Amino acid sequence: MEDPKNVVLTSLLCKTYELTDTEIEVLKDVNLEIEKGEFTTISGPSGSGKTTLLNIMSGIDKPSSGKIFVFGIELGTKDENFLASFRCSNIGFVFQSYNLVSTLTVAENVAFPMEWLRKTGDYIQERVGELLELVGLQQRREHFPFQLSGGEQQRVAFARALANDPPLLLVDEPTGNLDLKTSLKIIEILRTQKDNGKTVIVATHDSQIFHLASQKLVLENGNLRSQDE
Amino acid sequence: MSETSFPVNDLLRRKFQTTIVTASLTLCVASTLFLLLFTNRIGLSISLAIESRLTSGFSSVLSPFLIFLGILILIAGAVIISFLVHMMMFQRVRDIGLMKATGCPNDLIFGYFFTQLLIVTLVGCSLGTVFGILADLVSASILNSSGLQILQGPINFWFVLLVFVLFFILAMAFGIRPIIDATKVSPVKAISPTFYIGLGKQPGFKVISKSGFAAKVALRSLFRHKSATIRIILCLSAIFLLVTVSIAGGVIANQTTKSWVEKAIGRNIVLIGHQDVCNQYKLLMSKFYEVNDGSRFNYTDERYSIPKSLLSDLRATLGNVTIDTRLLLAASVREVQGHILEGDTGQIYAVGDNRTGESMVVGVQPEEVLSKWSLNGEALTQDNAYEAMIGDSLAQKMFSEPLIQGIKMFNGTFKVVGVCIDPINNGNVTYVPLKTLEDATGISGPNAVMIEVDPSVGRTQVLDQIRSVVSAANPDFQVFELDEMLDKSLGFLGYIWSTIMFLPIFSLATASLCLIGYVMLAIGEQQQELGVLRAVGAKPRTIVNIISSQSLVVLLSSYAVGVAFGIIITLLVLVEKPLVTSYTVLEVAGWLLIALAATFISSLYPAIRFARKPILEIISQP
Repeated sequence: MEDPKNVVLTSLLCKTYELTDTEIEVLKDVNLEIEKGEFTTISGPSGSGKTTLLNIMSGIDKPSSGKIFVFGIELGTKDENFLASFRCSNIGFVFQSYNLVSTLTVAENVAFPMEWLRKTGDYIQERVGELLELVGLQQRREHFPFQLSGGEQQRVAFARALANDPPLLLVDEPTGNLDLKTSLKIIEILRTQKDNGKTVIVATHDSQIFHLASQKLVLENGNLRSQDE
Repeated sequence: MSETSFPVNDLLRRKFQTTIVTASLTLCVASTLFLLLFTNRIGLSISLAIESRLTSGFSSVLSPFLIFLGILILIAGAVIISFLVHMMMFQRVRDIGLMKATGCPNDLIFGYFFTQLLIVTLVGCSLGTVFGILADLVSASILNSSGLQILQGPINFWFVLLVFVLFFILAMAFGIRPIIDATKVSPVKAISPTFYIGLGKQPGFKVISKSGFAAKVALRSLFRHKSATIRIILCLSAIFLLVTVSIAGGVIANQTTKSWVEKAIGRNIVLIGHQDVCNQYKLLMSKFYEVNDGSRFNYTDERYSIPKSLLSDLRATLGNVTIDTRLLLAASVREVQGHILEGDTGQIYAVGDNRTGESMVVGVQPEEVLSKWSLNGEALTQDNAYEAMIGDSLAQKMFSEPLIQGIKMFNGTFKVVGVCIDPINNGNVTYVPLKTLEDATGISGPNAVMIEVDPSVGRTQVLDQIRSVVSAANPDFQVFELDEMLDKSLGFLGYIWSTIMFLPIFSLATASLCLIGYVMLAIGEQQQELGVLRAVGAKPRTIVNIISSQSLVVLLSSYAVGVAFGIIITLLVLVEKPLVTSYTVLEVAGWLLIALAATFISSLYPAIRFARKPILEIISQP
């Protein structure tokens, strides 16, 4: 068990994808420490490995070599069942492409991570209401994702990520495809999470999100460095 | 992007979907063709096996059964293939919408997807045909080497071609429909899930309760994919109908036909008569299961006559026991026309002709007969009437409407009152009252006696008593136990039905393959949703539970429909006067439950395989 003051700790983390005739080294010996309550941004050009790093932090993907600890637990050695429970309870993930379930309504999309944890019906009803209020979508609870705009889908994705009140929030390019007004709403949600003491890691190019960050990192050709360097 | 290479490249790049659709199509064509070829092979084998054997009553159960199964297999195969191809092309409706939205002309879009449909259908049907033929040849060879006589011979090329063309046309016809529909609607509609999933319900939000969580998630998904769910239920219902008809039909027909034989011959019956008569009787009975010529025998030899003293000695020894005395003869018989009064016109029509033939004629005392035939019409009732009950083969060979006709023999005309199913002399038999026959022929006294031995009162002892009485009366007389012949007849029927019972096993394999195909397609359709569930915290086991719950709901729904209709068809259409005992019900229920369990278990494989995939691979799959 590593030092629990670090929410995320990586050591010589590498990730290589093997294609048919070539290998792509996406992450190269990444060493990273993110402490509890820290708001971290990771920037870098497209294809630099930002999404891959977030995927590894969430346990969705596994490193090719090196170690990753989240809340002191080495994720690379854990099986899928453990990782699923761990993600459900500890990590909220907002995907770049929202990844809402198309056959579930807005309310159901927000509710189902709580349903995995077998929360009571009353609790889930109340929590869904709270979260939709937080993201300003109370009136859209019975709509399907395809009936929402991109910004609204992004906000539903935020509400879903926060459903189980996870201490770590991973957000992938939250404002990349949104207009200014909608982006501001998203940034407001991020600010609230920071103020609530959550550890937030955001892959982004948005300078307004950089303003919230206590740690700014840059990924370039698979190498991670501080923006200040 | 080259216009000509797009369809091929697109198929190659969507490897997962292309593979599962082609594999499902191949499996269905192969299993359907195999079943058809194998049914044909079994049908021909049985035809050869029963040539000049079995009575027409038994053959009339077997032939429709096999023909009906063949038709059902063809229909089920057609339904499944149509469903698979329709489902495959329906999954592309969103892509069609996206292409329309980017400005691609309708005719080009149609061309792309039509080419894809053509390629997949051609490959699937061709591979299916090859595998179907191979499976048929291998199965016939394996069964033959294991001792079952399955006809081995060349495949009927024209039949295979016909099935291939039929399935190919059906697949194209059903596959093209979603493409045409999608090219007709606006791009916005085509890319909307309301169109391509049929998602239209706006339910009130309801939290899923803790109990049966995975099942409820599965149900929610099934209800929201309503059109696809209904289609697969229809598809699997057709297969379960086939499985039920072949299992229930096979079991019920087997037991019914066996009961016909058992009732006609009787259990624990001994035949007493001159050894020549006993041997001739054995020969006539064995005509049911082996080809022989037992026609030349002089029944009227005085040495064969049963002395009255023997009958009284038997009565004195055995006490109050039924003694079924019979006069066995062979005679030329002639069909006598019957007449029907037309109700509307008042005219009288003649029915039948004046056909002639040879028949075994048996005089019996109606009140003392031990046989309990399965019959149409009535049994003989009076000992001095000019009534006859004829065997089923004789009725079919020589009569048009036997129950309103007569039969002429020994210069007398007898009214046909019943047609019985009887294995003796292969159903070529006529029963008449003993006294009437004696009067007509001038022969006095029976030449065979039958007695039922009660097995509960020391069978060996009773048989020894009978033997001593019989040998004291005439050393040339014999006591012969008919159970031996009964068991051989039942064994022959059992062999035929056991051959047929391979069909339900293969039908079950088809059902399993189709369900696997459905599960694979359903997973393909929901993979993004299931991937997201995994990413957000669902365990692999939960995903397996959700998919298997969906399979179970679909399976149970189709099972209920298929089994209900299958039983109705079996009882009402396939087997006349079916024998359904509590044992039959248990046997059929057991087989059907095994079928359900086997199909369900086999459908778990793709679900387990999918749940083990890395999440990123699931989400990022095109």
